[in-house]
Amino acid sequence: MTIEAITLGGERMQLNMGPHHPATHGVLRIRVESDGEIVSSCIPDHGYLHRSIEKIGECIEWPMFVPYTDRVDYVCAMNANLAYCVAVEKLLNTDPATAVVVPRRAECIRVLVAELNRISSHLIAVGAMAMDVGAYTPFLHGIAQREHVNDIFEKLCGQRLTYNYVTVGGVAFDLHETASEEIASFLDQFEKEMVRFNKLITTNTIFRDRCANLAVVTAAEAIAWGLVGPNLRGSGVDWDLRRDEPYGLYGELGVRVPKGERYAGRKGAVGDCYDRYIVRLLEIQESVRLCREVLKLLPPAAAKANDPIGGHQADVSKVLKRPPKGFVHCRTEAPRGEMGYFLVSDGTKVPYRVRVRTGSFSAAGIFHKVMRGIFLADVVAVIGSFDVVVPEIDR
Amino acid sequence: MTGLGYAVDAVAVWLSGSPAPGWIAVTVAVLLVWVAPLLAIIFPVAALGQIVERKVAAAIQRRHGPNSASLEGPLRFGFRVLLCFLPRATQDRAFQRFLKLPVVRSLLPILQKLGIGQLAADGIKMLGKEDIVPRGADGAVFRLAPYLALTGAFLPFCVVPFAHHLVMLEVSVGALYVIAVSGVTVLALLMAGWGSGNKFSMLGGMRAVAQLVSYEIPVGLAVAGVVLWSGTMDLHAIVAQQYRPGVFTFVGWNLVQSPFLAALAGVFFLAGLAECQRTPFDMAEAESELVSGFNTEYSGLRWGLFALAEYTEMLLIGALFATLFLGGYQSPIGEQWIVGLHPLLATLLHLGIFVVKFLASLFLMVWIRWTLPRYRVDQVMRLCWLTLVPICLVAVFGLAVQLVLAGGTEAGTAYGRLAALPRPALGVLGHLLGWAVPVLLLAVLVRIARRRHGGMHPALRQLTGGGS
Repeated sequence: MTIEAITLGGERMQLNMGPHHPATHGVLRIRVESDGEIVSSCIPDHGYLHRSIEKIGECIEWPMFVPYTDRVDYVCAMNANLAYCVAVEKLLNTDPATAVVVPRRAECIRVLVAELNRISSHLIAVGAMAMDVGAYTPFLHGIAQREHVNDIFEKLCGQRLTYNYVTVGGVAFDLHETASEEIASFLDQFEKEMVRFNKLITTNTIFRDRCANLAVVTAAEAIAWGLVGPNLRGSGVDWDLRRDEPYGLYGELGVRVPKGERYAGRKGAVGDCYDRYIVRLLEIQESVRLCREVLKLLPPAAAKANDPIGGHQADVSKVLKRPPKGFVHCRTEAPRGEMGYFLVSDGTKVPYRVRVRTGSFSAAGIFHKVMRGIFLADVVAVIGSFDVVVPEIDR
Repeated sequence: MTGLGYAVDAVAVWLSGSPAPGWIAVTVAVLLVWVAPLLAIIFPVAALGQIVERKVAAAIQRRHGPNSASLEGPLRFGFRVLLCFLPRATQDRAFQRFLKLPVVRSLLPILQKLGIGQLAADGIKMLGKEDIVPRGADGAVFRLAPYLALTGAFLPFCVVPFAHHLVMLEVSVGALYVIAVSGVTVLALLMAGWGSGNKFSMLGGMRAVAQLVSYEIPVGLAVAGVVLWSGTMDLHAIVAQQYRPGVFTFVGWNLVQSPFLAALAGVFFLAGLAECQRTPFDMAEAESELVSGFNTEYSGLRWGLFALAEYTEMLLIGALFATLFLGGYQSPIGEQWIVGLHPLLATLLHLGIFVVKFLASLFLMVWIRWTLPRYRVDQVMRLCWLTLVPICLVAVFGLAVQLVLAGGTEAGTAYGRLAALPRPALGVLGHLLGWAVPVLLLAVLVRIARRRHGGMHPALRQLTGGGS
């Protein structure tokens, strides 16, 4: 519900939401100017979590940057790892002398962890969105499921948040013996759990009424403002890099892409908060399906780590010392949309330039536009619906 | 005699030993009759409400809730205070022997699992915290607000009958008094919001005032409906009216007397929920928007007083709901046997039943809170003015029509002093008609609303486990 902010010569109130506010996700600061309960302007103020990650990239060797990508987006560190590693592989593949073939088993494992991490990341997104609207319980149920994913990852690589698992040319460790069964049983119980979650909050009338027709972004606007990922698809644009510019194993998998279709019914509009929220839930379902598909495709482990079928890590230590000169831009579909790496190489073992482009950054760009005229109470809900993660904005 | 109620009179007369007690006896009687029960019943139950809340929330969220805080520390402290005249070693020895008692040994872990230890720990923590008054705050207003909030929450309890004649103040306008006095809370929240000198607090305070003032109208109308039905504003009399002899006493409860009263009961509960600022109406302290709303700047004991006021208010809504619609302190079955018991036993039983009834509504409120999201400001107002108030008006009107059509008096209730009050005696046909028409109407309305809203999107049906 958007109301034109009308001020009859009255005073406007400046309200600082964040950087320390219980509802802004991380240290996001938003300067809200409100006319009573109605927001008249809203300016995001970034930079509280700037850690010079791109500059660090210019100072350390190619493979050593992987742990830093974890910190670019710690909610889906696997996808962040993957984005960088795929980019570096693309750079290496520009010269046949340094070309690297990722073993098939490693590709399978990559898709598996990326999709599992997409599930856990979207769980945070939808749970936090529910919490922003005032329902605390769904968030905890989502977190409980995320913990299961973290358990799987912990067995895989010893970490629960920043994994440093995907490497250039493969993955750091092979799957442990029981991993397939564990993941399969997790997916089974997870699907049932999501049905419960959706009955609890998604179809709740209060929740739907609050999110319907709120902060509507039309398809044309979404493209013009450079929205990516679920935020773009929520506006009804049918675009997913996993399907349209496939990398790794995704070309074989046939990803089905959900998009915003006015899920809230009569009261809603394509591209409102509810659509963005539902698109994420549908993507979770799709990720579950992809994980199951990949488990079927997974070749058995070979004795040698660099075996082109059953291995998990191609031999890249030499080529990374002497990568081809040139530059490459590579984008992958992370949970928060396209995560693009622009790498410039001068042929040495240290990158000349590393540039990251992330989904949250472009989402934060549209805040001031969609927040004008909405209620103060909805500001957090809108932030939640765009699923902004602050380290991704600031890097 | 003193105008302070039957119980105060009786105690004062008994204390002074003369039919015209002096002011000291009256004061002591007031303390004994008003203040002591208040402290003895409401405080522990309100504090218990917090544990109920946390435990129910934990169950809903599949956690354990508070279960680790030991009671040993607070008990040791209690021993040291009680036995302060003895040397430290003796105190400790006594405490050790106390801990070894079989009752204590078996009971302590259970209480700890129930989270009672957390209650003690939280209390001590709140007492020990620094009392911060922000530099920009309006000192006096800021300091006074929590006490006023607590006052507004406690005062209405004066007229709520906990058992037969177990009421602090027997006034003939009890229902009116409750609504009037609970209005103090509005002022308290406004003071807290304004006095904090914080924009979030002020927004919370303003929201609270808008919401409380609006929702007093459906609450008032719901109470008016009951008053219309009962023909009295005396809460004690309203309870007595709901008495029926026989096994199934609950057929006399206002909730099942008329569909209009049932509708009013629903509205009363919802509006009551809004009156105590609970989810889905907790805009005033909306955590995700306003940090903590009007009590953002409060800490320590003052914050604790606000929390206590909130739980007391929840209990009040529960108690009023029980009084007005659920037969008050009466048992749902076999009330006539309880009345026939020894007065002391009957009083204790009634008290127990009443506490169970309002704890049940407390549970319902907690359940709602941890299940539903929060309404937005405009939605809260729309719900009040465009849904609840019209329902109330229609229900009160329907009630009046029903009374005119089937009006009549029936003499004799369990309590002699109310014998002459009128009570409608509907025949079986009247009851059936009275229920059938509104229920049919409601079914039609629900169908129309469903058709207007349209079906659920197939993707949503699939997400909730239905076929795609």
